[in-house]
Amino acid sequence: MGSAMRAARAQLEVATHNLANVASDGYRRAAARVALTARGLTVSARTVADQGGIRQTGRPFDLALLGEGAFRVGDEVMRGGAFTRDRDGWLVDDRGRRLRGACGPLRVSAEARIAPDGTVHDHGRIVDRLPLPRGTRIQAGALESSTVNAVDETLAILTAQRAFETAQKTLVAIDATRQKAVNDVVRLK
Amino acid sequence: MFAAASGMAAQQTQLEVIADNLANADVAGFKEAAATFADVRAGSLGLGTAQVGKHPVFAQGKLMKSGGPFDVAIDGPGFFVVERGGERAYTRNGEFARDADGALRNAQGWALHGVQIPSDALAVHVASDGRVSVDTPAGKDRAIAQLRLASFASAEGLRPLGATLFGASDASGSPRLFTPGAHGAPSIAFGMLERSNVSIVESMMQILGAQRAYEANAKGVQAADEMLRIANNLQRG
Repeated sequence: MGSAMRAARAQLEVATHNLANVASDGYRRAAARVALTARGLTVSARTVADQGGIRQTGRPFDLALLGEGAFRVGDEVMRGGAFTRDRDGWLVDDRGRRLRGACGPLRVSAEARIAPDGTVHDHGRIVDRLPLPRGTRIQAGALESSTVNAVDETLAILTAQRAFETAQKTLVAIDATRQKAVNDVVRLK
Repeated sequence: MFAAASGMAAQQTQLEVIADNLANADVAGFKEAAATFADVRAGSLGLGTAQVGKHPVFAQGKLMKSGGPFDVAIDGPGFFVVERGGERAYTRNGEFARDADGALRNAQGWALHGVQIPSDALAVHVASDGRVSVDTPAGKDRAIAQLRLASFASAEGLRPLGATLFGASDASGSPRLFTPGAHGAPSIAFGMLERSNVSIVESMMQILGAQRAYEANAKGVQAADEMLRIANNLQRG
């Protein structure tokens, strides 16, 4: 029963992490998967690749991905596309990492535009391209909202809480049975 | 539990940003701000969320006829250059009034740079190319000044000094002055003001969403607390 309580606890952690990121643009919700193994219940979390809603922001270098794929920033990849053009023309994310196109970090003028196919247009010329998987498009001036649904996660929290209580009640019942077995059954008159 | 608590903190920040937007929805030239959040994790362990940035959104606001005799608005990107006590700042709020010393000042006392209205002026005009002229008893349409606008390498890096006032910073780069009205360049609209680009309906919706998300995160804290309570009381059954 200990593993059931641990599993409920892990499910709660997945749900609260999701819920905390309901406002994180580009965040993809994690789904908890509970499996019965020889060691009892185990919980693993995997990222669900749903498409988030697209929200217009009015900032020219906010980019939203429609379809699979991710933005390459520095050595990492991410779905969130809130980029800013810094004073030297580099497109940087909120942590200051530079957005990379096919030919390296992007450096553009303030008038540059990013087309739906990922090509970067600057002063009427194509200067670079954001590598995208087939079928994926980019929408500039918009962000992809988090895929977390607050209602689903609240429900998951309640479910985990009840599962924890059930496991605890069962544990107490098992404990009582054992107590009886140890103290009463072998008691010799 | 801490993941849920970080979610509550994020929603609180979100509410503060939206409330600030709403409070300035009627201020000419105000630009709304948006906070951005990202998830925090250590390996596979989710630690919740953190605010990673806050950006002003410099999208154009609608121009509206204001009737003020010295009101100006910028149609396109750029900022008015204003100064007070030798210090320079940049704004898109073009609500100016004529002061006793002939300067055009806004409500905070910042004067439009380079403009001095003669004391005998009866009326002031500003052309779309920024040429300031006055009508005096001696003659009509006498040019007195040329308005120049400022642009920045990275306007989002500007340092906020007030609701609509910005200062140059390292992140924004130094201002580049230009004359408005050229082909394809921003122009000046005289007798107009730029409304804030805050959408009240959208902000109200965001407030409702943030409030509900806050409550849901509070539920997460509560659930984690409840589990700990049960675990602590296991002995008693």
